[in-house]
Amino acid sequence: MSNPFISNKKIRALYFSIWFFISQAQVLLLTYFLNVKLLNAYCDSLVFNFLYMALGLSFWFTVSFNSLENYSTSKVFINHIAAAVITSGLWILIGYYAIINLITGDKVYSDFLLKSLVWRFLIGILFYTVIIAVDYVIIYYNNFQEKLLKEVELKALVKEAELKTLKYQINPHFIFNSLNSISSLTISNPLQAQEMTIKLSSFLRSILSKNEKQKNKLIEEINNAKLYLDIEKVRFAEKFEFVEEIKIECKEMEVPSMILQPILENAIKHGVYESLDKVTIKLSCGMEKEYFRITIENNFDPESIPRKGEGIGLKNIRNRLKLIYNQENLLTVQKDTNLFKVNIFIPVG
Amino acid sequence: MNAKQIRVVIIDDETLAREIIKSYLKKFENVVLLAECSNGFEGIKQINELKPDLIFLDIQMPKLTGFEMLEILEEPPVIIFTTAFDQYALKAFDVNAMDYLLKPFSEERFGEALSKAIKLISNSPSTKQKLDGLVKAVEKRDEFLDRVVIKHGQKIIIIPTEEIRYIEAQDDYTMLYTEKGNFLKQKTMKYFEENLNSAEFIRIHRSYFVKLSAIKQIELFEKESYRVLLQDGVKLPVSKSGYQNLKEIIK
Repeated sequence: MSNPFISNKKIRALYFSIWFFISQAQVLLLTYFLNVKLLNAYCDSLVFNFLYMALGLSFWFTVSFNSLENYSTSKVFINHIAAAVITSGLWILIGYYAIINLITGDKVYSDFLLKSLVWRFLIGILFYTVIIAVDYVIIYYNNFQEKLLKEVELKALVKEAELKTLKYQINPHFIFNSLNSISSLTISNPLQAQEMTIKLSSFLRSILSKNEKQKNKLIEEINNAKLYLDIEKVRFAEKFEFVEEIKIECKEMEVPSMILQPILENAIKHGVYESLDKVTIKLSCGMEKEYFRITIENNFDPESIPRKGEGIGLKNIRNRLKLIYNQENLLTVQKDTNLFKVNIFIPVG
Repeated sequence: MNAKQIRVVIIDDETLAREIIKSYLKKFENVVLLAECSNGFEGIKQINELKPDLIFLDIQMPKLTGFEMLEILEEPPVIIFTTAFDQYALKAFDVNAMDYLLKPFSEERFGEALSKAIKLISNSPSTKQKLDGLVKAVEKRDEFLDRVVIKHGQKIIIIPTEEIRYIEAQDDYTMLYTEKGNFLKQKTMKYFEENLNSAEFIRIHRSYFVKLSAIKQIELFEKESYRVLLQDGVKLPVSKSGYQNLKEIIK
């Protein structure tokens, strides 16, 4: 960050005006209370204050290199004390020699000047402290602003990611084809059209609300997935069959939400869409050592040429499982001549 | 108005999607529905047999997509695409579609497309459709070609691009040399240039594409000229620019 006392217009103006005010105050002090001649008082005040004003600008760098985040508090403290002593010493030294060269032949004033050096030194330390404090305030204010900005950016990133998953989950091809089926049913079978509208709505609602919940009971996942399958069933009535073999004790198991639907969608997409014959999709589950296993299998036409894009959905789920359970290989895929099988393993306990 | 009959075939894998087209068609007296097909293979068979004037064609279908179907039709009729995907729209124009209907479509929109098609068919019944006003978008596809559909005698063969070893130009057509034999494809080298994955297939010569993984070695042939030796012993010439392409990929 650049020095705000130079780069920021407002701070710069304020800094200069404060120094102007201090120098005027000093002239007043010297002439009224300490009986220094007006000309000498001006000379004294201008030399010392201008000098400190210039020195003060450089303090920004000592502050920048002494941030509390990088060094211990005690080290920063010692550094600043050393800097304060050195600057103040330098200040009165240069100021003194400048003044005694400017004002010659005034014994009273030079005596006063010599005596006042200790006080000036202490004032120098005070100036140092004040300027350093202001510098730190500016730094913290800037950091705070930056943090706010970063947070906003991060939130935008998260939103974008969420939107992407949503877009992935709500496959537009599926939605528009379903709407087309509804449109067709309104002519031939209005009652079924109504049913399908409700199913599609429930399905969309379940997807839209799902993002808040990380885990769900298996039975609820199955019910949501069935909404999807029911809709596909309307589209491809004769082309597939869904079989579930779920034991009662499995139904209450907790699984990551929205995990079945993408796999079933995959089975429909690569099994049902690409096949001319009937496809059976089977869902089963059971315990295997310390894992709860969910299996989804479907037969497929071995002659259909796999189109690209296969596996993105499965990869997504594998990544999610890895993130949630911090384990590899929680999703396995088996492909036989005409059977496609996906296993999900949920760690239990 | 002369009452020429318009003969129509519907090709769509969803029953309900066919139903709605059928019910919309009822309002048009001159239109006769010849057949309904639920996949691309059936579509080709029916089109070749019945020679319809107009087809309603879905794009995403099992086995053969609507586009692949058109590639192997010798005399394609007038086409109205019906699809849920508008990403295909540009390409639909590329294959000279009369129009395309985005599902779900209204009866009015359907009527517009059909009327336009009827007008075209009644005005020039025999001439191939030269559609003015339609943009011919030669936009490059963002997806690479992953399979090629070939008409081999009476059979339709689908070849995954992985199975192609090399491609040879034969006038306006191309010969694909695959693991299962050689097949003639009615597409030009330019088509493959535009649609093949250039990381997988390399243009080594004006007349040849080679699959990178099929190459065994590159050898000096005469001075300054090279040729490639394939795994199966076939030797192919490499042109100067082809050698540049090879060098770029292999380095």
